[in-house]
Amino acid sequence: MGRGDQLAAFEQLVLLALLSLEGDEAYGMNLRRVLRDEAGRDVSVPTVYSALDRLEAKGFVTSRLGQATNERGGRAKKLFRVEPAGVQALQEGRLTLEAMWKLGGLAGPS
Amino acid sequence: MADSSGVSGTQPPKRAEAILSRLLPERDRGPILGDLAQEYAAIARSHGVEAARSWYWHQLTLSVLPAMRRRLGRRHGRGSKGTLHERNPGSGLGVSWLDVKLGLRMLVKQPALNLVVVCALAIGIPIGLYPDHLVRLLEAPLPVSEGDRIQVLRYYDVENSRAGLPTLDDFAHWRDEMTTFQAIAATTLGNSYNVISDVGGAAPVLGAEVTASMFDILRIGPELGRTLIPADEVASGADVVVIGYDLWQARLAGDPEVVGRVIRVGGVLRTVVGVMPQDFYYPYRDQLWLPLRLGEVTLAQGRQRTHVVFGRLSDGVSAEEAETELVTVAGRTGSGDSESMARLQPQVVGFMTGLIGEDKAGMRANPEFFMMKSLAMLVLIIACGNVGMLIFARTAARTSELAMRTALGASRTRIIAQLFTEALVFAVLAAGIGLGVGDLVVVNSIGALTELMPYWLDVGVTVRTVIWGLSLAVFSAAVVGVVPALKATGKSVHRNIQRAQSGRSGLRFGGVSSVLIAADVAFAVASVGAAVVLSSALTDVEDTMGTLPEQFLSAELIIPPSPVAEDNTPARIAVIQEEVIRRLEAEPGIRGVTMASLLPGMDHRGQRIVLDEEPIGQDVRAHRVAVARVDPAFFGTFEQPILAGRGFDSGDLGEDRSAVIVNAHFVEHVLEGRNPIGRRLRYATRGEEAPGPWYEVVGVVETLGTIITNTDPAMYQAVYHALALGETPSLYLGIHVGDDPESFAPRLRTLTSEVHTAAMISNPVRLSDVVSFTRMGTMIMVLVSGTLIGIMIALSISGTYALMSFTVSERTREIGIRTALGAHRISIGFTVAKRAIAQLAVGILIGMPVAWVFFEETQPSEIPTQSPYLLTVLVGGGLMILIGVLACTAPTLRALRIEPTEALREGV
Repeated sequence: MGRGDQLAAFEQLVLLALLSLEGDEAYGMNLRRVLRDEAGRDVSVPTVYSALDRLEAKGFVTSRLGQATNERGGRAKKLFRVEPAGVQALQEGRLTLEAMWKLGGLAGPS
Repeated sequence: MADSSGVSGTQPPKRAEAILSRLLPERDRGPILGDLAQEYAAIARSHGVEAARSWYWHQLTLSVLPAMRRRLGRRHGRGSKGTLHERNPGSGLGVSWLDVKLGLRMLVKQPALNLVVVCALAIGIPIGLYPDHLVRLLEAPLPVSEGDRIQVLRYYDVENSRAGLPTLDDFAHWRDEMTTFQAIAATTLGNSYNVISDVGGAAPVLGAEVTASMFDILRIGPELGRTLIPADEVASGADVVVIGYDLWQARLAGDPEVVGRVIRVGGVLRTVVGVMPQDFYYPYRDQLWLPLRLGEVTLAQGRQRTHVVFGRLSDGVSAEEAETELVTVAGRTGSGDSESMARLQPQVVGFMTGLIGEDKAGMRANPEFFMMKSLAMLVLIIACGNVGMLIFARTAARTSELAMRTALGASRTRIIAQLFTEALVFAVLAAGIGLGVGDLVVVNSIGALTELMPYWLDVGVTVRTVIWGLSLAVFSAAVVGVVPALKATGKSVHRNIQRAQSGRSGLRFGGVSSVLIAADVAFAVASVGAAVVLSSALTDVEDTMGTLPEQFLSAELIIPPSPVAEDNTPARIAVIQEEVIRRLEAEPGIRGVTMASLLPGMDHRGQRIVLDEEPIGQDVRAHRVAVARVDPAFFGTFEQPILAGRGFDSGDLGEDRSAVIVNAHFVEHVLEGRNPIGRRLRYATRGEEAPGPWYEVVGVVETLGTIITNTDPAMYQAVYHALALGETPSLYLGIHVGDDPESFAPRLRTLTSEVHTAAMISNPVRLSDVVSFTRMGTMIMVLVSGTLIGIMIALSISGTYALMSFTVSERTREIGIRTALGAHRISIGFTVAKRAIAQLAVGILIGMPVAWVFFEETQPSEIPTQSPYLLTVLVGGGLMILIGVLACTAPTLRALRIEPTEALREGV
């Protein structure tokens, strides 16, 4: 994996949060809620979408438009899905991290 | 559920959405706005519209910086190397952080000029904001759960454009019959109750009589004990009270066993049943809540009972639906004749609108609001216009820099963007300073009127105000930055560079400069006129009291209505008042006591009178006078001799109350020096009203203070009537104490409570410190207006100076050539000055009638306007002529010193 394909810390959190959501729930606002509630990262919606755009450019996620509703002002929901490449990037990132923890003499993440 | 008709609150705030729409990249705009709209609707359903709005605006502020970073990042390209060539940003805001840094650097250059620019915008931007800030303040709902669902039920007199209060009978019927409200309550307003406690003795406390449903509507529970319940409203119920947190801490020592304690409130022993939480002061600054018992004479104090009927809308019901039902119910149950009922329109309105009696359409529909907003925007535009001139003059001096940048590839858009950003830095800084200072001024000045303001009104700057301030800053930057930039970049590169080499900008203000200079001069002359008018409000009012008011304690003695009807007779009230006076006179050190409707130095009521010799009819000439009722001891207590005739005696207190005393000012200005004794006067009536009784002048006294500020000298002429004790339950006491009169206030309260436990002493203060609302309002107005006028005059001066000196500088080559051709220096000087004189003359000619109109509109008819007006023209006109001369002299002399050969050597 080239340097440009490596995941930044925040991007890892976004991918992991996305993996916890399914189908119609996998959209920006829900992702933001998971990041806030589970990871303690209260970020703005544009920041989440910015990370998703980068991940999509790298081929780690794909998006599709959902249904537009009146509640959303007639705007379609943008739904995301983690691709196998994204899962692989996450796993490689975790292995790298574990290796560095061992190198540092600290117990690696369980 | 989709909503298109506007059941309020299911759609995000349109302005915030529009701002976000501009900031967000197109690719994700739809999904992001959709996510936010969906979340907004969910929060509105669970926590209310207000919470949802706050959340949405918060998301906007969170999103601004990341959105801008994304846009700038896409424009400049991450990792790209810088070159000498300028980048063309293409579409978008065209703003870069480099431009911002350059703008900040410009702040430290030319500090004097920058200070004027920032001050002008710091004044103009907040003033431009103020009208909308005021309206938003007044439209704010109560700070309780779903506060926007709480509405006031009232009548509105459509003929006379004023709100009318429903009767308590109306309230009872509406409460029983309306179905569109979950609950309806009534509360009194503006009452105080004498509270006697262990700590602090006897002192008045603001309180309200309320129905138990009020607490359900507000959804606020007690800190201790309970709130009122319907059983408390029964006439035969126990006398109970709910107290506020501050009262509990300050007057009951925060006793944890306070529930169940008995305290004396308004002369009645009441059991404390509950304590409300901190920061609860509904409806204004109240700390007592008594049960409102319909049909019973309650302990409410104050000169007039006022109450508000309000309720919480049922779920899913709109205010319009509730009003439809109210019209039907009120039509069945309304009291009053058919004519008055036809005029009185039942309405359901927002809480603040109902509280202040504003028209249902709100302040924005008020023509006066439109005028205020127009004036505010005019001030901002004038400030921007002047600042724009100054920045244009500075931009002209940077022609060589701009020409070089153009040669290196900078597009016109790029340069304009930079100049806009520089102006934006000024504008944002000015907006910040203006809002910060404005917040301090407003909060501190309004703080003096705290007891009049509902507790939930936050008069300070809010997030929304800041956002609007930034919007106005952007508008101002566009006016002062982009417009001059368009003019500065409108020539070809080649000519720009040539002109730069010759030391000329090549820029011409053209006719615009003449118009702007003339406008500045006119504004300065008119502003000087305004300053002259305002300064008259600060001069000492005319009276003969000297330092005597410093020795007097002034206080209002209020005797509230008693539950026992027999105790409310004038005779009974007179007994109480007389006993208070007797005890005060017996106090050691007290030199005199008097009672009056108003004391010297207070703002007196103005009324129109006619004299006995003047024709009665349509041509009657009415004189405006100040009126007060005073007891026979009044003039003696204030050591004022009777100049002619006699003072009041007990004979004037009988059934025939025809004797009046006038002051020296009345004799001089109304009677024009003629003998007043025996003259008769009566109060002017309107239309078909029957004329009132005649009063005979029996005495003359000196001019005592009858007005706080000097804005209306007609109010110096006064008429005094004899006051009999018992005539009114509320009077002012004037107590001659001597040094440190305020130290007597606690004793005065104790003594009064001993005479009558419900009697109240309100606002005991040294007479010389009596501050009326008029005075406070006038002082605030003078302070704010004076500052504004000072800044505007400075701006006009600097704008005029900058433009004139720049214009003359641009003619340096012409002056050199003419000198080379043999023209005399005086002739050259006159030619240069000719244009400046014409501009100044036009400005003064325009400013003079504007100042005259200002005087005519603001000065009372009794004051001649000629002398202050002439002063205005002389001072204002003279000042601007001086400025014009200074502006022209230095550059003209510089130009005359240039050798003709040097001037000719410069390129064509």
